[in-house]
Amino acid sequence: MSRRRQIAAAAAVVLAVAGCFALGRYGAYLVHAVAISAIAALGLNLLTGFAGQISFAQGALVGIGAYTAGNLGNAGWGAGAVLAGGVAGGVASVVIGLPALRLRGLYYAIATLAAQFVLEYLFKIVEPLTRGISGMNVSPLVLLGRTVASDQAYAALSLALLAITWAGLQRLMHTNVGRSFLVVRENELVARGMGIDVVRVKLWAFLVSGFVTGVSGALVAFTTRLATPEAFSLQLSVDQVAMLIVGGQGVWAGSLLGATFVVLVPEAIQRAGEAFKAANLLSASREMAFGLLIILFLVFEPRGLAALLRRLGRALSRLVASRASRASPTPAALATSRYPATGGSREKAH
Amino acid sequence: MRKPISRLSAILAALALAAPLAALADVSVCVWGTITGPDAGVNGMSYGTVAYLEHLNQTQGGIAGQKVKVLLLDGRYKLDEELKIYRRCVDQENAVLVKGWSTGSAKALREQVQQDGVPFVSETFSSEVLDPAKYPFLFIQGATYEQQMLIGLRAAKAQGARKVMLMHGDVEYGRAPVAVVRKSGDIEKMGLELVDTIEFRYDAQDLTAQLLRVKSKSPDVVYIQASTPQALVILRDAAKVGLSAKLFIGNMYNIHPSIPEQLGAAAEGFRAIQLYSNYGDAIPAMKEIEAFKARNTVEKQDLYFMKGWFGGKFIAAGIASAIQKNGGKPPADIKAFRRAVRDALEALKDLDSGGIAPPSTWANHQGPTQARMAEVKGGKYVSAGEWVNAQ
Amino acid sequence: MLLLQIATAGIATGSVYALIAIGIVLIYKCSGVVNFGQGGYVMLGAYAAYALTRLGLSPQLAAAGAVLILAAVGALTELLVLRRMLKAPVVAVMMVTLGLLILFRAVCLAIFGPDQIAFPQIFPQGAVDIAGIFITYNYVAAAVLSLVLSLAFLAFYRYTPMGLMQRAAADNSRAALAVGIHVSNQVSVAWAVSSALAGLGGVLLATLNSLSLTLSSIGLVAFPVIVLGGLTSLMGSLVAGLLLGMLEAFTDGLLTPALESFLRAHTSVYSVGALQQVVPYMLVGAMLLVRPQGIFGQRGTERV
Repeated sequence: MSRRRQIAAAAAVVLAVAGCFALGRYGAYLVHAVAISAIAALGLNLLTGFAGQISFAQGALVGIGAYTAGNLGNAGWGAGAVLAGGVAGGVASVVIGLPALRLRGLYYAIATLAAQFVLEYLFKIVEPLTRGISGMNVSPLVLLGRTVASDQAYAALSLALLAITWAGLQRLMHTNVGRSFLVVRENELVARGMGIDVVRVKLWAFLVSGFVTGVSGALVAFTTRLATPEAFSLQLSVDQVAMLIVGGQGVWAGSLLGATFVVLVPEAIQRAGEAFKAANLLSASREMAFGLLIILFLVFEPRGLAALLRRLGRALSRLVASRASRASPTPAALATSRYPATGGSREKAH
Repeated sequence: MRKPISRLSAILAALALAAPLAALADVSVCVWGTITGPDAGVNGMSYGTVAYLEHLNQTQGGIAGQKVKVLLLDGRYKLDEELKIYRRCVDQENAVLVKGWSTGSAKALREQVQQDGVPFVSETFSSEVLDPAKYPFLFIQGATYEQQMLIGLRAAKAQGARKVMLMHGDVEYGRAPVAVVRKSGDIEKMGLELVDTIEFRYDAQDLTAQLLRVKSKSPDVVYIQASTPQALVILRDAAKVGLSAKLFIGNMYNIHPSIPEQLGAAAEGFRAIQLYSNYGDAIPAMKEIEAFKARNTVEKQDLYFMKGWFGGKFIAAGIASAIQKNGGKPPADIKAFRRAVRDALEALKDLDSGGIAPPSTWANHQGPTQARMAEVKGGKYVSAGEWVNAQ
Repeated sequence: MLLLQIATAGIATGSVYALIAIGIVLIYKCSGVVNFGQGGYVMLGAYAAYALTRLGLSPQLAAAGAVLILAAVGALTELLVLRRMLKAPVVAVMMVTLGLLILFRAVCLAIFGPDQIAFPQIFPQGAVDIAGIFITYNYVAAAVLSLVLSLAFLAFYRYTPMGLMQRAAADNSRAALAVGIHVSNQVSVAWAVSSALAGLGGVLLATLNSLSLTLSSIGLVAFPVIVLGGLTSLMGSLVAGLLLGMLEAFTDGLLTPALESFLRAHTSVYSVGALQQVVPYMLVGAMLLVRPQGIFGQRGTERV
C-alpha cells in the first residue's frame, strides 16, 4: 500500500470511528454487530483463505474469548480482559488445530465440528467458569478508568479494533511467517522443499486466527452483557463460514463484506417487508433469501462479494472511460477484468 | 483497501436516518416473540397481545382515546436478534412499553431496561428477573416456574405421592428453576422426597434410556420442566417402558393439542399446569375475542393466545391509567410517559381480565400467582379443579 | 435385564441413524460430496408426506409419494446445483449443502408454519414386548427397513451392472468415462436414491416424533455415525448407526446415573448435563486421531 493510500485509509477509519457517536443506539448496535462479526471473520479468513484449513469451531472459540474476558472483566481487568480473551482463543485454537497436523480437508472440518460440540457442552457444565446454562452476567468494560456503557462507544471501539486487526493481519502477510502461509496453502511439499517448517507455520496460523477470534468474543461478552452457551452454538460457526463464502476467501475485505451481508441483509429484508405485516412469512422469506444467496454465490461467484464488487467497479470505470473517449473497451481491458484467483484450498479429501 | 469501512458507515447512517420515526404523540408499543423458531408453538402469547391492542384501536379508538401503534417483531429465540430488536423499539420506535420474550433476553437487558427507564414485560416466568426492588421496570405475567412446580407437586402430594423426580432440558429455563427448587429444600418441607433429577438434551429424539432410569427409581410423580416437543418424547418413551402418563406433570407450556393427537392413549392422564383459561371457555374475555375474530384472523386459537390477550389487558390498563393521571393526554416527554406507565402498572389492583386469570394485583410485578391443573382425558385437555394459589 | 432393555432401546434409535447415514455415504461414495444438508431432505420427506395426506391420499400412499418426490428433488439438486460445482473446493461444496438446508427449512416454514404438527399414523398402532420394552411397530418398521435397505444396497453395488457402474464412477471417474460410463448420470442417480432414502427416514421419524422443523437436525446426529463407520462404507454406516444408538442409550441409562450418583455423593457437582450429546463426538475425535478412515472405511489419503 502506498503511503498516500495508508493515510487515506487511516483518515477513513478515524472518521468512521468518530461517526459512531452521531448514530442512534440501534444504528450503533448494527455497527458493532457487524464490526465484531467481521473481526472473527478475519480470523477465519486467515485460517481458511490464507492457510487452507476449514473450521466449524468458530462459535466455540468466540465463546472461549467471551467467557475469559467476561470473568476477567468482572474481576476488574479492564483492557487486559480483551487481550486475555484473545490469548485464550489463540491457545484453544492451537489445541483444536493439533489434529489438523494429521488430518486435512473434510476430516479436519469434522474434527472441528466435534470440538464445537464438546466445547458447547463444557460451557454448559463447567459452572464455576461459565455459570452454566443460566449464563454469566458481564459488567461493562472499563477502559482507562472509564466505564464503556453506550452502544455508540462500543461501536467506535469495535470499529477501531477491526481496523487494527485488519492492518495487523495485512502486516503479518508481509513477514516471513505470512508468506509461508501462502506457500503451505498452495503446496505443502513445495513448502517443505523450500525449507519451511510446515508444522510451525500451521500452528502460527491457528494461534493468530484464534487470537483474533477470541478478541471478537471478548467484545461479544461486553456488548451482550450476558454470556450463554446458546450464543456460541454451531449456528454461529455456520454464520461465520457463510460470511467467508459470501464475502470472499483470501481477501481481507471479504471478511467485512461478508459480515455486513450476513448481519444487515436479513435486517434489510425485514424492514422492507414489514409493510406487509406478515411476521410469519417475513422470517421465512428472510431465511429463504439467505439460503438462496449462499447457494447462488457459491455456484456463480465462489470468490464472493469482494470479487463481485471489484468486477462491478471495473465495469463501471470502463463504462465511464468509454463514455469519455467514445471508444469500445479494448481486449486488454476485458482480459484484466478477471480477478486473479486467490480462492481457498482446492484439494478434496480424496 | 480500507474504504469499505467508510462506505459501510455511510450506509448505516442512511439506514438509521431513513427508518421511520414514530410520531411522539402516538402511543407506541413494541412486542417481540418467537414468531418462527424453536418455541414458536406458544407464540400466541405475542399474537394475543397485539390482537388485544388492535381490538382496542378498532372498538374504542385505542387506549384512553389514543390510537396505539403496535409493532410485532420476530426475535427467533436468538439473543442477539432480541437485543437488536430491543434497541430498535426503544431508540427508533419510541415505544412507551416493550413486551419481550425469552428469559435470556430479560436477563441480558435487565440493567439496560433500568437505565432506559422503559417498562419491560417479559414472557418469561423466571424468578431471576422478578425483583420489584432491584428491577423496578421489569414485569412478568403469572406464577414463576418454581411456583408452578410447587403447585404441581402439591397437587400430587394431595393424591398421596411421596417420591418425586424432576426432568428438565439442558436449556436456561430447564436447569435454573429446577436447581432453585432443589436447593431451596421446598420439596422436603412439603414432606416429599426428591429421588432423582434428570437433565436431557433439549432436542432429544429419544429418551427411552432416561425413562428406564425413571422406572428404576419408581417415583410417585415426575415433574417435567420443558416444552411441548420434549414432553411429547417423554410421554412416548414412558409408554415404551410401561410407565403411565398419569405419573407425569408438566409446566404451563405442555398444554398443546399435538401431544394427545400424536400419542393417543399414551397421553391419557398427563397433567399440566394451567395459568390461564382455555381458548373457548365461557368467560367474558372470550366474547371480546369472538368479536375480534369476526373482523380479523386470530393467528393462534389456544391457551397461549389467552395469555397474550391477558398481557394486552394488563398493558392497556397501565397505559390508560397513566394517561388519565396526566389529564387525559399522554405526557409529551417519552421519558416521563414511560415512568408514568411503570408506576401505573405497579399500582394496578384487582385487575379484571375477563376471566382469563383471577383478578390480579401487580405490586409484586407478576400479577396472578394462581394456577390449576389440566388433564388429558379422551384426547383433550380438561381443566380440573379450582385456581390454587402458589403461596 | 436392564442391560437388555437399554440395548433394545439403543438398537431402535440406532436403526434410524443408520438409515440417514446410509444416504450420506451413498452420495459421498459416488461423488465425493459430503451432504451436510441431509437433514433437510429428511424434513422435506416428512412434510411432503404430510402434504399428500392433506390432499386426501392414504398415509401409506402418501409415504410412497413422498419418497418419489424426494427422489426428484435429489436429482434436481444434483442437476441444478452440484453439477455446476464440480471443480469447487471442498469447503464450498459443504457450504452449498448447508445453504440448501437453510433454504429447505425456510420453504417448509413458509408453507407449513413453525408449529409442531401431529403426523398421520402409517403403521398400525401397537407394540412388541422385547425384554420388557414395548417397541412400537413404528420402530420395528424403521429397524427392519434400514436393515433391509442397507443389505439391498450392498447387494446392488456388488451384483448389478448399475452398481458396478456406480462403483466405477466413484472410484475413478476418468477411467469410468474412458470405458463409456456416463459419470454425471451416475451421480444424479446417487443423489436421487440418497434423497429418497432421507425422505423415507423423515417419514419414519415423523411417525415417531411428530412433524416439526427440528427433524432437520437429525442430519448432524448422523455425522458421528459416518465418521465412525467410515465415509465410504455402507455396511459401516449400518454397524456404526446401531453402535452409536446403543452407546447413547448406555450413556443415558448406565453411565450418567452412575457418574451422577458418584459425584453427588463425593463432590458438590450435581449433574453432568446431557452427556450423551457429546459422547459420540468425543468418540469421533478419538477415532479421527487413531483411525480416520473409520471402522470399515478404506484407507485413503485422509492423513497427510
